[in-house]
Amino acid sequence: MHGYEFYVDPSRCIGCQSCVVACAECETHRGKSMINFDFIDRQGTTAAAAYVCWHCEEPTCAMVCPADAIKKGDDGIVQSSLKPRCIGCSNCVLACPFGIPKIFPEYEQMMKCDMCYDRTSVGKKPMCATVCPSQALSYLRPEEIAKRREKPTNLFRFGNQKIVTRVHMMVPAETDTVSLEVLDYMWEESYAASSQPQ
Amino acid sequence: MPLLRNPSKEPLWKDEFSVFTSDERYVTRRQFTKFLTLASLGMFVGNLWILAKSRLTKTPAFPTAEVAEINEIPVRGVKLFTYPTPQDHCIMIRTGEEEYAAYSQKCTHLSCAVYYSAKNDRLECPCHQGFFSVKDGAVLQGPPPRPLPQITLEREGTKLLAIAVQGG
Amino acid sequence: MANLEPSKQRRGLVTIDGAMALIVILLVVQIWLLSATLETFLAGHSGTVVPAAIFSGLIFLGCLALDFFVTRVDQESRKS
Repeated sequence: MHGYEFYVDPSRCIGCQSCVVACAECETHRGKSMINFDFIDRQGTTAAAAYVCWHCEEPTCAMVCPADAIKKGDDGIVQSSLKPRCIGCSNCVLACPFGIPKIFPEYEQMMKCDMCYDRTSVGKKPMCATVCPSQALSYLRPEEIAKRREKPTNLFRFGNQKIVTRVHMMVPAETDTVSLEVLDYMWEESYAASSQPQ
Repeated sequence: MPLLRNPSKEPLWKDEFSVFTSDERYVTRRQFTKFLTLASLGMFVGNLWILAKSRLTKTPAFPTAEVAEINEIPVRGVKLFTYPTPQDHCIMIRTGEEEYAAYSQKCTHLSCAVYYSAKNDRLECPCHQGFFSVKDGAVLQGPPPRPLPQITLEREGTKLLAIAVQGG
Repeated sequence: MANLEPSKQRRGLVTIDGAMALIVILLVVQIWLLSATLETFLAGHSGTVVPAAIFSGLIFLGCLALDFFVTRVDQESRKS
């Protein structure tokens, strides 16, 4: 918007959680942070990743909402759920391939990142991109991001499903699509094995 | 609706409940337009209903009532009577030797009783200065919107009878 | 699905707004026609009933045509 795009580079994330705290300062979502923060393998590595809503072109969360509560505007931003309509059913939570929407049972409401719409709609940067010290979350013009070694992509494949997003992910230069085979990341079998009595 | 709707690859519910706000603006306008067209159809049906009523209802049969004798009142004289019911007050004027005219006395403006003014040769309503012609009850001046209903008179021998009401 | 450029979308919306305004005007005329017909009929003059019904029908057909027009503009806004 206004010539800027959002870029996520998980390799730069240092796990400081400044984005989580900065996002939580906003009263628009009642002091709850809308950043999806992940310690990838806490036992094995210090690597961390912070994600925002990817604002997909055809938002799965909006498509599955039974109350027609999630809307995508003309500027491409997928808004958080409309308060009068959301019934707290968690359909979007289950449907989102990136796992972004958060359900708050105390409010019976889903809330998610809306790219600080009150800021970006008037040309300011979102809070997370403003405070990230390593610029893992960055809100820049395309010509500025071109200076980095990694290249942005916004095409994801989950098995056969192709998803085009508004938010870009920084990937090695030779990659053009982030492909994930979901079955590769299902670890129920290893848990089941470790829970068996010896 | 499949006949009237252009086949598109999206199912109808995706069009009507679109997740894109730009589509929503179209949907609300389209639905409002359909509603207005339905209202227009309703009013057309109302007009048809009036048409049907005008074809089907017959004019009511009026009773015959004796009003006066032939030479009971002088020329430019007036007789008050009631026709067809005792609540409907009427006025008869002898406009000439052999000419009589009779009208309902209720002014069509706000139902004041009209009286005959011999000086001006017209029926006058004292409330708001509405004047009616004696010849046909048409409004000459003033607020009344419609002419006075006319009582049809018939002469039978030496009697004058009222046989019908025209115009309400 | 709704990725038309904003200028084309706005033009479509303006067209529909104009058609809707026309329909509202037609509807006001039809309301007046209905009330005037009823009043004259109840006053006893049944000669106006038939032409009034014809005009009311014409106005309804006009509204129907505008409704089809609006639906067509709406569908064209989604086609591309």
